[in-house]
Amino acid sequence: MAKSAINNELPVSRGNARPNYEIRPPSIFGFNLLANLSKLLQYKDLVWTLSLHRIKVRYKQSVLGILWAFLQPISMMLVFTFIFSLIARMPSEGIPYAIFAFTALLPWNYFSTSVANATSSLVKDAQFVTKVYFPREILPITYIVAALFDFAVASILLAGLLIYYQIALTVNVLYVVPILLVLTCFALAISLIFSATQVRFRDIGMAVPLLLQLWLFATPVIYPLSAVPARWRSFYVLNPMVGIIESFRDVVLKGEPPNMRYLMFSAVVSVVLLFVSYLYFKRVEATMADFV
Amino acid sequence: MIDLKFDTVSKRYRIFKESETEGSRNALGRLSRRLRGNWSDFWALRDVSFEVSRGEALGLIGQNGAGKSTILKLLYNITTPTKGRIRVNGRLAALIEVASGFHPDLTGRENVYLNGSLLGMKRNEIRSKLDSIVDFAGVSAFIDTAVKRYSSGMYLRLGFSIAAHLDPDILLLDEVLAVGDAEFQSRCLERINQLRRAGTTIVFVSHNLGAIENLCDRVFLLRHGEIYRSGAPRYVISEYEHMLTSMPAATAKGLIDVHDAPASEIVSVIFYNSEGRRTTMFATGDAARVEVELMVHEPVEDALVEVYFYSIFGNIHSHFSTEIDGPTLDLQKGRCIIEFDCPQLPFEVAAFNIESSIKLRGSSFNEHVDYKRTGSINITRGKPVHGAFHTPHTWTVRSVAPPDSDHSTPAIVRNVD
Repeated sequence: MAKSAINNELPVSRGNARPNYEIRPPSIFGFNLLANLSKLLQYKDLVWTLSLHRIKVRYKQSVLGILWAFLQPISMMLVFTFIFSLIARMPSEGIPYAIFAFTALLPWNYFSTSVANATSSLVKDAQFVTKVYFPREILPITYIVAALFDFAVASILLAGLLIYYQIALTVNVLYVVPILLVLTCFALAISLIFSATQVRFRDIGMAVPLLLQLWLFATPVIYPLSAVPARWRSFYVLNPMVGIIESFRDVVLKGEPPNMRYLMFSAVVSVVLLFVSYLYFKRVEATMADFV
Repeated sequence: MIDLKFDTVSKRYRIFKESETEGSRNALGRLSRRLRGNWSDFWALRDVSFEVSRGEALGLIGQNGAGKSTILKLLYNITTPTKGRIRVNGRLAALIEVASGFHPDLTGRENVYLNGSLLGMKRNEIRSKLDSIVDFAGVSAFIDTAVKRYSSGMYLRLGFSIAAHLDPDILLLDEVLAVGDAEFQSRCLERINQLRRAGTTIVFVSHNLGAIENLCDRVFLLRHGEIYRSGAPRYVISEYEHMLTSMPAATAKGLIDVHDAPASEIVSVIFYNSEGRRTTMFATGDAARVEVELMVHEPVEDALVEVYFYSIFGNIHSHFSTEIDGPTLDLQKGRCIIEFDCPQLPFEVAAFNIESSIKLRGSSFNEHVDYKRTGSINITRGKPVHGAFHTPHTWTVRSVAPPDSDHSTPAIVRNVD
């Protein structure tokens, strides 16, 4: 290699702004939400690059590539349709069962993929955590962005199904935006709690797949909310995913506005939980590198 | 102008004792150990205070576990202090492990983006520097190849090149010179010097005392989590050498089983330079005299004495034994010094750990009467080495008489070295 041809004199260029900050022992009372968020904003390019990286690595070196984003919800839909409409006859409020289940599986898969991948994110990228400084919440966040990408790809398929079953969208479909926002907040909150805890207690990694499976059955994905007996319903809707999934299906398939009481409940729980989980995550972050 | 300030900083690591029956990741086991108080505290740093001025290059030396890397980790915010405050004034970047953020399946280009943004660069900043990064690393032809197909040299060069383009106000360096070939290391040093001339504040951790002396304005010698000595590089390095050589020789662990009272012991292995001064700093090609001091408790017949030069990664670099070219040693009771003379040290620039052993002739590779780690030496730039090592040599020119001449020309003999 012609090493002599390489120019060794690199220009030294740097900005004028010198950040000035203090590092102190961790304390709950020292939590500064704005400072943490502005730090996170400084690293937005890393969030973007790392999210792209997640997506690329997932589909690189697989023959079917991006098709996997379609295959997962389709196969789940086919299995559930086979079991619950051909064998068990699950009620689906007059909607063809395949699209009934598929529509709920989209946001559900977004949630479960996010949580499942984000939980192990800090442990999996331990070499980053112990060698480089950056706000650690970026690691779980990038898995959520990657799952959102899968959600977007699978939405194309939903559009196809809507055309096939001749279901017309109404203006109420715009509710999808706030519903997704609430869902993202909730997924992020759960991911922050699980991933931070996973650093010290690897049991979380074992428990999450099981938990997600049980959670799926406690959420109106493969059956409608109306199938839940009325006397249990007030207890049942304490699960924030109920309001989110049911609302998503209402606005897309029925063209109706969502049940505001359920959706607002999910929104309030998600936002409060997100704040608490961020506080917890930042406290654990301080000494994360010593344990991971 | 103060860029870095440590104000009575302490860092504690809590080490939970693991028993055979409880796994470390077992929450219940850990909880019960926590409740029983079954842990020990390790203070990696104790009440350390110092300031680093803008543009200053500070070196940190000391033995493993003295607290050098903990200082860097705290500065870089990888972990937080247990007590005290740290003030940082400037954009800080660290080279703790070159290429640690590479993903093997991604191409060189994709990894530049990934690694660059992990180190805190903006995407457009990376885009504008991409060509320069790739050129400096010399991997232009392979930039769209997955890095798992790279040679380890290419991997290192690309990793360093990204970091070299960070242009921080404050640069933290941890043992960056411990990897790669001589060419790579000299390029690293050159870039570091260049940043230094441009006014970058540098904190440099290395076992390479020669590099510390060349690069730093001020050096701290750390010991048991405290600043044991601080001051001009030459002074602190010689204090460190003194500390290393005057320390009781530690028995190298895990290599042999030494019975409680060996028949003879290695007391010390001391290096002297050509002026007879005791030192651990040599340049390539320097003369060295090594004295191995033994304490013989019971007479040992037909003993062998060996001196090993280990690289800092623990592989054997060179091994000298009286078995090969030394005298027959019948050790008598009392003190005894075995001298080993090396007219020209052949080693390249590096640091070596010295280990030494006494053994019986014919005993196996790891059967020793005594075996000890006895200190370390540093080789700095001396006679230029292009290749693996230097060797003593002479040059001779003999002119051959032309066939038609009837009187012979006297040979011209010239010695170099």
